[in-house]
Parts: sequence; C-alpha cells; structure tokens
Amino acid sequence: MNTPLRLPTDPRQNHLLAALPDTEWHRWQPYLELVDLPLGQVLSESGRIPAFVYFPTTAIVSLLYMTQDGESSEVAVVGNDGVVGISLFMGGGATPSQAVVQSAGQGYRLRAQLVKNEVDLAGPVLHMLLRYTQAMIAQVAQTAACNRYHSIDQLMCRRLLLGLDRLPSDALVMTQELMANLLGVRREGVTAAALKLQQAGVIRYSRGHIVVLDRARLEQRTREAHAVSRKGYDQLRSMPLAA
Amino acid sequence: MDSSSNNPKKNQLLAALPDVEWQRWLPQLESVELRLGQVLYESGDKLSHVYFPTTAIASLLYVMENGASAEIAVIGNEGIVGISLFMGGESTPSRAVVQSAGLGYRLTAQAMKDEFNRAGPVMHLLLRYTQALITQMTQTAVCNRHHSLDQQLCRWLLVSLDRLQGSELVMTQELIANMLGVRREGVTEAAHKLQEEGLIRYARGHISVLSRQGLEKRACECYAVVKKEYDRLLPERLAA
Repeated sequence: MNTPLRLPTDPRQNHLLAALPDTEWHRWQPYLELVDLPLGQVLSESGRIPAFVYFPTTAIVSLLYMTQDGESSEVAVVGNDGVVGISLFMGGGATPSQAVVQSAGQGYRLRAQLVKNEVDLAGPVLHMLLRYTQAMIAQVAQTAACNRYHSIDQLMCRRLLLGLDRLPSDALVMTQELMANLLGVRREGVTAAALKLQQAGVIRYSRGHIVVLDRARLEQRTREAHAVSRKGYDQLRSMPLAA
Repeated sequence: MDSSSNNPKKNQLLAALPDVEWQRWLPQLESVELRLGQVLYESGDKLSHVYFPTTAIASLLYVMENGASAEIAVIGNEGIVGISLFMGGESTPSRAVVQSAGLGYRLTAQAMKDEFNRAGPVMHLLLRYTQALITQMTQTAVCNRHHSLDQQLCRWLLVSLDRLQGSELVMTQELIANMLGVRREGVTEAAHKLQEEGLIRYARGHISVLSRQGLEKRACECYAVVKKEYDRLLPERLAA
C-alpha cells in the first residue's frame, strides 16, 4: 500500500504556483483543489482531453507513451517543478501520451476551463506556463538523445536524478519493474545495471527496490546527461515573469 | 536558386494567417535562401529571427557534451523555426540546421514577439503548432528507444517527403546517418533493402521514392501518430 503522508501542505510547494504574481495567486487560490495522488492513478488518458491540470507538490507524474506493441516509454517527468496538462493551454486538448502518478504524494488541481480563461488573458501566467513548457521541451529533447545514445546504466542514472530533483527528501525508492517500464527496456537490463550501481556503492538494491545512497556519485556517472538539462531548467525558472 | 519564385503562401502557417494579420506581416517578411548545412541558430544562442521555410527543410538537433547530435524534430513548409522566441526562453537548447536546401522567409525577433503578444489568432495558431512540434519530439524519443533503423529510415524519408514538392529527395547517406544518430553503414544497408524492394531508387545522393505506400507500411507507428496530430491541430494547413 502506498498512502501519502498527511503533512501540512501549501500550493506554493509547487514552483510554478509559487511564482504566480499576487493578483493571479489570489485569483487562483479559491479554485486550487488539494488532491491525493496515489501511485498508478491515471490523470489523463491518451487521446482524451483532460478535465484538470495538476500541479504536483510531493507527487511525481510520468508522461508515458504506449506503443502499438504494448511497450511503454516515459517521455517526461513532472513534479513540483511543473504542471501536468500542457496541452490544455497550448490549445490542443488531448495528446497521444498518458499521465500517470509514478511516485505517490499530493498536488493541486485546477479545472481545465479556468486554465483556458487564463491563457486568453495572455498575461504573466501564460508566459510562466510557456517558459515551463520550454523547459519540458528541453527534457524531452534530452530523452530523445539519451534513448539514441545512452546505455541502460546511463538511462537509469539520469532517471534516478530526475526523480530526486523532484522529491522533498533524498529518499527515492523505485521497483525495478517500474524503472524498466519507464525506460522502455527489459527488466533484466535494469537488474544488471542496478547490480553494477550497487557494487559501486551508488544505490542499494534489495527485494526489487532501488534506493539511492550516494547522489554525488550518481551525478558523476551521469554528468553529461543530467547537467545540461538541469542548467536549462534553472535558467528558465529563474527568469522574471514580465513578458 | 531563383528567389523570385518564392512565395510566403508556400508556408502553411503563413498561408493560414487571417487577412488582417497577413497584410501586416507581408512587408515584414524577408525572403531568404537557406543553404544546406546552414546553422540557423546554435544551442544557447539568442535568436535574431524566426524562419518560415517554403521549399527548404530544417532539422532541430540536440547536441550532447561529447559533440554527438541527435535530431529531435524536422521543420519544413508546415512550420516555424525558432519557437523559443515566443515561448519566452530567449535562447534554446537545440541547434537548427538546414537539412535540405531551399527558400524561406524570416521575421525579426522583435516583430515575432510583438505579433505574438497581441494575443490574437496568431498566438493561438503558434501555440497549436508548438504542441504539434512537441508531439513530434516526444514520438522521436519513443522511436529511438523502441524501433529499428529500417523503420526509422522509412519514417524519416516520409517526414521529409511531406515537406517537399514531388517525390525526390537530395540527401547523402552521411547526412541521413547524422540525423538518425547511427553509423553510415547502417543507412547504406537499410537503403539498399528499400531499393531491393522497389520502394526507393537511390543513386549518388538522389533518392526517388517509388512507393510512398510501401514506405508507410514499413515505417513504425510514429509516422502516422505524428501526422495525425499535425492534421488535427492545424486543420488550416489542409485547407490552405
């Protein structure tokens, strides 16, 4: 069972919500609804227009694509750094991917119509959402490149870091099964890579669970893949909101 | 290359502009020649212009620290090169390179920002286009993980063909290998197989597509998924 801890929660634990100017914050506040996001919950389905956007605070959401052969591939990771449901403000509604909670926690949701209204205002909120989308594009681009060039070992290290970046503590626990599904590789490949990382003292791997022990070493191993993405994110997030 | 034959209506986004916007944009659009290999911008650059290809095709490449690059999207007469200008990042994580020489139009960064900030039909059109582009990149990430070089080559040929007139592509195997992020020998072998099956004819950098349907059958689902999304998100293109 995977019930999220009931800690006092604040929408501003989500970085986008925290960056809203006062006027917009007060406009949104009455409509932001705190929700539990249990592991495996589907927030939006492939080809269906989502009813809400979600701003995770402690949960992490995977954007997954399922191939016709039934294989899965995680195309992006969204946590307290972002919003799930970009297509609602880009105007396209649905997308071929699905959004699934990959690490249980909490978040805030907002009705789709409210988001669309905000877009039409074309003010600081839209610009903030677009800058986030730009950071998301950089993450997807890097995933495409990683999937072309990197070994399972490197893919896994990168994925562990993407998760750690979005969690309140240094603890990240994931099953091999889940990791294999997210990376779109066979479970045996994850097992082999996990054993290597354990031997290097980077993770502890027991009973199907991967626990990160040494973040610094993890970063070293995946320096290239992660550093570029993180820099881009930080640059985009630190920009002032004025259009 | 004959620049006088260029026409902004050959770019589907420009052709989809409502009359008022069209009249306002026309004097600001500059016809340009886009040469093979020309770098429209580097990753980290501050963009000076956005580009609307008419007969040229551009590739967006993600460049890794070791210098290797992977193509993440293709942009031709259906789109715009330089979305980061209105997405607000000012600079971009990718490199844009001309992959097939031809013509296009460009607009200054300031003009693009001004137009976008009017928040009218232009903004909505460009956001929908950006969503289509994101879908293309997302699909490429999936494709790179799950599909074979044979399938990827077919997909790539179709994507380029969609953005050109006729059924001829002028492209070296070297370039294709760079775009797909594979060894040239792999492309040679895959192209040879397609030729044996009568789907393409390939000689000295000229590829003639003999059976589009045949390529579509051999390509992975990624081609159809992206095409469907472009058609859905940008119906104006089909009418234009």
